[in-house]
Amino acid sequence: MTHTIFKSIKLINPATNFNQKVNVVIHNETIINISKDLNLEKFNKDNKTIIYDCEGLTMSPGICDIRVNIGKTENLKFTQITAAESGITSMVILPNQTPKLDNPSIIDHIKRQSEDINLPKVMVYGAATKDLNGLEISEIGLMSEMGAIGFTNGNKSIKNSLVMRRLMSYATMINRPIIQHAEDEDLSGLNQASTTSIRGEMNEGEISTRLGLIGIPACAEVIMIERDIRLAKLTGAHYHVAHVSTREAVKVIREAKKSGLNITCDTAPPYFSLNESKLLTYNTAFKLSPPLRSEDDRLAIIEGIQDGTIDAIASDHRARSKDTKAQPFSAASVGASGIETLFSITLDLVHKKIIDINKAISFLTINPAKIFGIDSPSLEEEKVADFIVFDENEPHTIKKENLKTSPTPFDRKKIHGKILATFINGQVAFMNQIFKNKIIK
Amino acid sequence: MNKLFKNNSEVNKPSPVKLSSHHLLAIEGMQKTEIQKLLDRADYFANLDKHADTKYLSGYVVLNVFFENSTRTRVSFELAARRLGAEVINISLINSSIKKGESLLDTASTLNAMKPDLLIVRHPHSGAPLLFAEYLSCSIINAGDGRHEHPTQALLDALTIKRRIGYLEGLKISICGDISNSRVARSNIHLLTTMGAEVRCVAPSTLMPSSLEKLGVKCFNDMKEGIKDTDVVMLLRLQNERMSGTENPSEREYFKFFGLDETKLSMASPNAVIMHPGPMNRGVEIASALADDANRSLIKTQVEMGVAVRMSIIEALNHSKNKS
Repeated sequence: MTHTIFKSIKLINPATNFNQKVNVVIHNETIINISKDLNLEKFNKDNKTIIYDCEGLTMSPGICDIRVNIGKTENLKFTQITAAESGITSMVILPNQTPKLDNPSIIDHIKRQSEDINLPKVMVYGAATKDLNGLEISEIGLMSEMGAIGFTNGNKSIKNSLVMRRLMSYATMINRPIIQHAEDEDLSGLNQASTTSIRGEMNEGEISTRLGLIGIPACAEVIMIERDIRLAKLTGAHYHVAHVSTREAVKVIREAKKSGLNITCDTAPPYFSLNESKLLTYNTAFKLSPPLRSEDDRLAIIEGIQDGTIDAIASDHRARSKDTKAQPFSAASVGASGIETLFSITLDLVHKKIIDINKAISFLTINPAKIFGIDSPSLEEEKVADFIVFDENEPHTIKKENLKTSPTPFDRKKIHGKILATFINGQVAFMNQIFKNKIIK
Repeated sequence: MNKLFKNNSEVNKPSPVKLSSHHLLAIEGMQKTEIQKLLDRADYFANLDKHADTKYLSGYVVLNVFFENSTRTRVSFELAARRLGAEVINISLINSSIKKGESLLDTASTLNAMKPDLLIVRHPHSGAPLLFAEYLSCSIINAGDGRHEHPTQALLDALTIKRRIGYLEGLKISICGDISNSRVARSNIHLLTTMGAEVRCVAPSTLMPSSLEKLGVKCFNDMKEGIKDTDVVMLLRLQNERMSGTENPSEREYFKFFGLDETKLSMASPNAVIMHPGPMNRGVEIASALADDANRSLIKTQVEMGVAVRMSIIEALNHSKNKS
């Protein structure tokens, strides 16, 4: 196997707080040299070395996406390939797929099915309760042994307080977090078990009133988080809140962290880049859960990102078929694609001078890894060559017709930044034509 | 005909209205002048003898597509279209294609393939007519969509008020009842505020939608306060089918606090009129005797004006499509 050299590349490595222009040499699956002065002789003895001219380009660890739904429109392999093309080198999938990931054998099956040295690594959240019914605890110890990195009820909250208490308590023994979709589903009208025929459809406020859609009050999120924080205190569990979307939620998580509890959270691009006004045309691409919130909530999510209350950014990928979205808003499916836009929308925070690029990369790489105790990716000599190469400034426009998954809430958004190549275990998992043209020899 | 409805429009016969769109999907966003012209033209139709020759739309095909039960609105649209000489086909889709699993858009495009000029759509989901308008080539009238809008109801209510009182600007109008679930309320709020009326909304807090005051209305939970000195009391039906059982303790409690009776009505202006889009629940939203009070109740006039208003709209949409 020959050497591959990335010449004059800006290397961002949050684990070592490194951000400099260097030359990176990889051999097989390993980074063997990172240096300012390239000793070409040394690495080109066989004269077969591949050299990329990376002037103006950036290298960072690959993205670890901690919230991916594999829906009916996809299969695991397809999602892995799409993820690789989007700069993702590892991802965590949710248990709410068919069949549900609620027992150790299926966790093992997913692991074997997804094992491909050249594609993003797939990790799994196990179902916290049997059949995701919210009533009985599933075999989280056995699933943990099979590699499940945390437990959740997916896109439904763990509603019953006793069940949540027991789950948290049990999870402390196996040292795994409980991940919550925080929503009081009675309050938001989503609890189908109750007699009500009403179903919350969007954030409650002036816009829901104008549209005649049923509102989900913002407090439906924080009510659940406040309860869970008390249970986390009672049990000592690691509690992780997924896709945080409201100001109040950020506030109570900030306080809980200050008081020393083991609480972490993530958010997703729609919640820091869009608000509820997008729904004014009943465009179902914006029908998400949690719903797009007010502008004030959006600003609070940004504050949470800036001050570190929010630990990570995940895609919250939940692709849907066009048919289930070409419906009246109330009848349309919930969710949108995310993996293909995760990187560029997060990088948009850098271009808008909200956070610096080191921090943006951290939110997508080492921070999520740290939350779940996954091996923290670091681009150093003798480490595995899992990384992405991108152009921070390449201007382009997201177009839904160019994406492989649908719908996107970011159609026609003008952005800067493009993934050019993804390397997994030193192998090319994805490389676009622009980067192929960078080859010197 | 009531003497108050004096016929003077033959003198200044208004011409068919041209709108900026060939759909009528919502009142929100409509210009004051457009509304004014539609009302003038409707007023003209209302004054005509019902046998007068108004068959301007011969060969025009109207599909009356109802995904939700309706009697008065469906019949009113049908009569309006027939009086204009159009062909009308009524289609009730409450149980048919939807149960067979066909998507709404497939149903709509199947109908569209038969080349109608106009689809009149009632649908239980807010925004559904907008989806039709996005995908289909014919004109669309929203005949009520979920909790969103019911534009023709607001226009006929406005015509009813104008013909009784003479003007809309500056009037105090109280809309009372189940505002949360009411598309009639939303359309009326947009129309009446656009025309310069002072609109108040009266409802139990559980049936008052969030941030309603941002639509330019005043909100009240006390009915006596909300209808004080008001010129028009507009009542809404309690839409129990859209509720979860947590909004309202009982019908008798509702009537006690929010049903219109003589005592509450005495707070309004002495000449205040009573309206209700129907169907009404006597003894729940309104005391039976008041509903039948010929001097104060305009409930039947509302139904009558529905035909004239819908004639003016169907004609306008045809006109707007031809000219655009």
